[in-house]
Amino acid sequence: MKTTIATLAATTLLTGMAFAGEHGGKMTIGITQNNVGVDSYQTTYEKAFIAAAEANEMVEAVVLDAGGDVARQIAQMEDLIQQEVDAIIIWPTNGEAVIPAVRKAKQADIPVIVTNSNIAEQGAEFVASFSGPDNITQGSRSAEIMCDKFKEMGIDGEAQVVHITGQPGYTTAIERAKGFEDRLPEVCPDVTVIDTQPGDWNREKSQKVMEAFLVKYDDIDGVYAGDDNMGVGALNAAKAAGREGIIFVGATNFAVGYEAMERGEYWGSIYQSPVDDAEAALQTAIDVLEGKDVPALNYFDTPKITQDNMGDFTKPVF
Amino acid sequence: MSGLTKQNIGSFLARQGILVAFALFMIGFTLANGRFLDPDNVMGVVRSSAILGVMALGVTFVVISGNLDLSVGSMMSFSTIVVLDLHDKIGPTLAIPAMFALTLCLGALIGFLVGYLKLNSLIVTLGMLSAIHGLTLTWSGGKNMDIADKEATWFGIFGQGEIIGIPVPILIFALLASVLGLILAKTPFGRKVYAVGGNGTAATFSGIRRARVVFSCYLMSSFCVATAGLIQASRSMGSQNTVGQGLELEVLAAVILGGASLLGGSGTIFKTVIGVLILGFIQNGLLLVGLQFYVQYVVTWVIIILAVWLDIAAKRGKLWSPIA
Repeated sequence: MKTTIATLAATTLLTGMAFAGEHGGKMTIGITQNNVGVDSYQTTYEKAFIAAAEANEMVEAVVLDAGGDVARQIAQMEDLIQQEVDAIIIWPTNGEAVIPAVRKAKQADIPVIVTNSNIAEQGAEFVASFSGPDNITQGSRSAEIMCDKFKEMGIDGEAQVVHITGQPGYTTAIERAKGFEDRLPEVCPDVTVIDTQPGDWNREKSQKVMEAFLVKYDDIDGVYAGDDNMGVGALNAAKAAGREGIIFVGATNFAVGYEAMERGEYWGSIYQSPVDDAEAALQTAIDVLEGKDVPALNYFDTPKITQDNMGDFTKPVF
Repeated sequence: MSGLTKQNIGSFLARQGILVAFALFMIGFTLANGRFLDPDNVMGVVRSSAILGVMALGVTFVVISGNLDLSVGSMMSFSTIVVLDLHDKIGPTLAIPAMFALTLCLGALIGFLVGYLKLNSLIVTLGMLSAIHGLTLTWSGGKNMDIADKEATWFGIFGQGEIIGIPVPILIFALLASVLGLILAKTPFGRKVYAVGGNGTAATFSGIRRARVVFSCYLMSSFCVATAGLIQASRSMGSQNTVGQGLELEVLAAVILGGASLLGGSGTIFKTVIGVLILGFIQNGLLLVGLQFYVQYVVTWVIIILAVWLDIAAKRGKLWSPIA
C-alpha cells in the first residue's frame, strides 16, 4: 500500500500540482451537502461519500451538512475557504443564493465542484465542474418508457397522461418536467398531458393530488411522477379508488417503487444510485485536482428501469 | 314560535359566520366544477382531512387553554416513523401501544415545561419541533420507513379500512371529535380549560390547578397526534421522515379558522371541525378547478383570511370597524 501512495504522490507531483507538498501528499476535499437525513437518498449519498473518501488514501474529506439552510451553507463555504481545502464540493441548498460564496472560493483559487443539482446559469463561470444526473435526459427517458409501453398496449393514439411534479422552483423538478414534456410529443405525438400539479416530493401530498385527478378525469392511462415516492403515492390513490390499468412511470427509483414494480403495479422509473452520485462527485474533484480535462457538465449515467429489465438492477437501499 | 325576523337572522350570522363562509365556498366550487360534490370526492376529502382534523382536535384544547403547539407536525412524523419501524420488529399489537406511550411521553415533557415550569409555549414547542424532528431522524437513520410485507398484516385497517361503507379514518375522527367535544363542553375539566385560557390568574385564585390543566391539554394533544400518526402510517404503510412537516401551521390555521382565539379562552370542537373541512375542501376545490399551482398558494390564504374576516365581521355586526 505504501508504495502505491508513493507512486501516486510522485505522479501527482509530476503533474505539477502544488497541494502535494502543503498537505503531506493528501488532497483535502471539503463537501457541504444540502440536507442530510431529510430523505434516504441524501443519507445514502453521505454514507457512500464518506466510504469512498476513506477508501482512497490520497483523500482527506471534510464532510459538512447545511441542513437545508442557505445561510448555513454559505457560512460553511467560507469556513472551507478559510481552512484552505484543495477543492470544495457543494450540493446547493439554493441554485441562486450560493453563487457569491462559490465565486469567493474561485477567487481563493479553490476549485468548486457542484454535485447533484446544478447552480443557476450565471454562476457557471465560477464552477470547475458539475457532477450529477442529467435531469432533462431523465425526464425524456421517462417519456420514452411511457410511450413504449403505450405502443405495446396499442393505446398510443389516444392515451391521456397526468403529470405530478416535484417541488415548484426546485431545479430537479423543473428539468425533469421539461425533459418529459418536450420528449413525449416527439415520440408519442397523439398522447396528451391533461393536467399537471405539484406533489412536492411528498407521498401523502401526491396521493391527495391523484385523488383529485381521479375524480376530475374518468380516463387516465398514465401517470408520470417526478420521483418514485410521489409515484407510489399516486399508485396508492388509484388502488384505493379501484382504478386499474394505469401505467405509472417515475424517476429516481426508490425501494418502494422497486417493490411496486415487483408486484406488477408500477411500470418503470429511472435508476439513479446515490452511491454512483457520491462517487462521481468525489472522482470529479480528484480529476480536477489532478489537472485532468473534466467536462463542465460531468453526468453519470442513469439508466431506464422497467418491469422487463429490473432483474439487472439491485433493489435501491433507500 | 317567532318567524325569521331580521334580528334572528342577524344573531344567527353572528354566531355562525364561519358556517356561512363554508357554505359560500361549497356553492362556489360546485358551480366551478360539477364533480366537486360527487360523493366519492366528498368522502375522499373528508378522509384525507381526517389526519389533519384529529391533530386539530388536540390543538384546540391547547389553544383554548391559552397556549400554542407548534410541535404537532414533527411529532406526527415521529409517531408515524416509530410505529412503522416497530411494526416489523415487534408486530402491530405491541407496536401501536408502544408508539402511543412514546408520543405521550413527548406530550408530557412539553406539558411539564409549559405547565409546571411556566415556560413560554411558543418557545418550548418551537424548540420541540426541531428536537423531535432530530429524534425521528436519529431513530430512522434518515431512511424511509416501510412495512416489509404489506399484504400479511391487518395494520392497514386504520387508514384504508371501511366499516359499513365509511372509511375508518373518518370514523376515528368523528368518534374523537364527539368525545373531545363532550369533554370540552360538558365536563368540569372542559370548563377549567376555558377558565385557565380566559384568565389564568383568576382561575388559579378560584382554586383551579392551572399547571395540571395545561399539562393535561398537552397530553391530549399528543394523544391526538399519535392517533393521526397511526392513521397516516396505516394509510400509506410507509413514510418519509418529513411526513408531518409544515402540518403544525395548517393545524393552527384550521383551529383559528374555526374561531378559537389565539389569546385563549374561546373556541369549540365543532368549529374546529368546520375549520378543518374548509381547509380540506379549498385545497381539493382548487385542484379540481385546475388553477395553476403557483396561484393556489395565494388563493388558499386569501380565502382563509376572507373567512376569518367574515367570521369577525359577523360577530361585530358590521363589515368594518374602526375599533376592535
